[in-house]
Amino acid sequence: MPDTKTYKLSFIVLTLVLLLCFFANISLGSVFIPFQDVFNGLIGNPTENESWQYIIHEYRLPKAFTAIIVGSGLGVSGLLMQTLFRNPLAGPFVLGITSGSSLGVALVIMGASLFGGAFAGIFVSKWSIVIAASLGSFAVLLLVLIISNKVRDTMAILIIGLMFGSITSATVSVLSYFSSAEELKQYIFWGLGSIGNLTWDELFIFFIIYAIGIIVSLICIKALNTLLLGENYAKSLGLNLKTSRLLIIIATSLLAGTITAFAGPIVFIGLAIPHMTRQLFNTSNHKILLPAVFLFGAIVMLICDSIAQLPSSDLTLPINAITSLIGAPVIIWLLVRKRKMVF
Amino acid sequence: MRFLTLLVTYSILLSSCKQEKQQAAIPINKLEGTQEIISYAKGFSITNYKNHKRVVVNSAWPNSDKVFTYLLVNKGEKTPEHDINSKIIKIPIKTLVAVSTTNIPALEYLGVDNSLIGFPNTKYICSEKIRKRVDNGDIKELGNDLELNIELLLELNPDMVLGFSVNGVDKKLDQIEQLGVPVVLDGSWTEQHPLGRAEWIKFVAAFYNKEKEADSIFKTIETDYLKAKEAAKTVARKPTVMSGSTFKDIWSIPGGESFIAKYLEDANTNYLWKENDNNGSIQLNFENVLEKAQNAEFWIGAGNFDAKEDMLQGHKGYAFFNAYKNNQVYSYTKRKGAKDGLLYYELGTLRPDLILKDLIKIAHPELLNDYELFFFKRLE
Repeated sequence: MPDTKTYKLSFIVLTLVLLLCFFANISLGSVFIPFQDVFNGLIGNPTENESWQYIIHEYRLPKAFTAIIVGSGLGVSGLLMQTLFRNPLAGPFVLGITSGSSLGVALVIMGASLFGGAFAGIFVSKWSIVIAASLGSFAVLLLVLIISNKVRDTMAILIIGLMFGSITSATVSVLSYFSSAEELKQYIFWGLGSIGNLTWDELFIFFIIYAIGIIVSLICIKALNTLLLGENYAKSLGLNLKTSRLLIIIATSLLAGTITAFAGPIVFIGLAIPHMTRQLFNTSNHKILLPAVFLFGAIVMLICDSIAQLPSSDLTLPINAITSLIGAPVIIWLLVRKRKMVF
Repeated sequence: MRFLTLLVTYSILLSSCKQEKQQAAIPINKLEGTQEIISYAKGFSITNYKNHKRVVVNSAWPNSDKVFTYLLVNKGEKTPEHDINSKIIKIPIKTLVAVSTTNIPALEYLGVDNSLIGFPNTKYICSEKIRKRVDNGDIKELGNDLELNIELLLELNPDMVLGFSVNGVDKKLDQIEQLGVPVVLDGSWTEQHPLGRAEWIKFVAAFYNKEKEADSIFKTIETDYLKAKEAAKTVARKPTVMSGSTFKDIWSIPGGESFIAKYLEDANTNYLWKENDNNGSIQLNFENVLEKAQNAEFWIGAGNFDAKEDMLQGHKGYAFFNAYKNNQVYSYTKRKGAKDGLLYYELGTLRPDLILKDLIKIAHPELLNDYELFFFKRLE
């Protein structure tokens, strides 16, 4: 195992890359803005074209911060899930958190067709989708927590989470079957994920919940390292398994739940970032892994978003298409090169 | 503790949207004003004051309980006192981004189509004049109507965006608004009367100070429509009509209170679902429709099909209907734009007279000898 010094260097490099990606992300977009003007816009100086200032401040900057929150948050929640369930295929989706959000959003967008206008009326406000998605994931989380109190087996919780996912997606199917084309389109677009439609106010609330999630996961680092040795071993080392499990599940739900609420169900990042990080850092120590996953997730998300914007073209692509298209081959390449999975 | 934090956050979120509703109830403007005459449309009203107009949209989407108030203030005039929920728009507007093709004919008829500088999915536009401006780059392509390219929109910096909402859940429109570009919602598609839809040209005109023009355009269309309707009434025979098409095994059929049903009534036909009280579309299963409509004389508005053969690829069961067997299936696919957009969707809202005449020509051809179908065609 490399000593801590090497890790220090890696962290410095990762942080620099993150800063570089952040500035690249802000410089690139559908509208071409010369670098000098991007810089001026960032520090509040007048830009050559007045609307550029606006584009940088009100659109690209919040989008870049959203990308950092989404990438790091999903990466961390994926890492927590994989360690808790000792399953390399686990991610924020497996607890049914994301499908809970989808159900909430589907009810708001498509519920009117099935239940009449009164239902949609309850939620109509600019927060409707966020609230519906949060309540959805919150409801599923509550059920999982109640059950995890009765069921002691982590594997059983995993299966129950998957079953919740099936129930909610079935309900969504029924709703979409009876919806109008326009409503379906709206729901599908939500499902494609979008990190570009948050304003500073929304970003602020988003950030607070996300920060709580990150703090809770930091508290869990010791428990995570012990869990790697197996549940029975962890117990014999004096770990309060029930509390740790609860904390880890809460952290994941806070992170994955809010991210899905604000940015839609972003695929791939939660599952893949922990693997990419393990391949590159070759360690299973969460003291190293967790901050590395954090930085790495943010970097990958910024890169994916820059590509999705198809710089200098009028088109933009849905972020989910890019996360999978770019990410999956990278994992395959890493696995082939290293010839084994680090887990 | 963490639950508590979560709960507190949720309640903050919930209370913020409650506040929004309460504010909407504050009454405003005690000045005397004159109402613009709106005869058929129920979704909007215009009140004229000395230096400004107040435009209220009360049906931006079906069953909406939200009221949108726009204060249209002439450029150079002082903005009158108003409550915080009224949106101020300086008129006449010079530049516009629209998102629905149904707005394009209105702009053209009013002679203000030059103000259109951005549009999503420009490929759906049929109008040759507007297409030319798209090709010249005078109208910028803005991506998709649900995911408008915000950067391009901000760079265009239009005086306003003329949008629409399916159910009030539109993140993008809210965002555009917050970025300082006023968004005005067009609810013409919620009107139940065909002439009500057309009358929304007066709504668009208000932003350009072109009410007079709008009034005379609408009068011509109205007269034409009513004349055709009167003529259709003179025929005693009411042919039976079915409508809609199936996807998988769900058949979407216009409800008895929908604007399509209104057209079929005005064309003096016997629409098989006229007793239904739904004003949107109803979903029925295939057998249900077959039982009721197998012997219908005409099948009007059968999806976007171009030919009878294409229909069978969608569902074999279409062949069981008499209208299909007797070559009496009509769809609104006669006229298409350069990139396959349907003119019916674009111009149909403004020209109900043409749609009605088409239907009369189909159901009672003897009434309109010299008339040639405009939007509709018989599928071969």
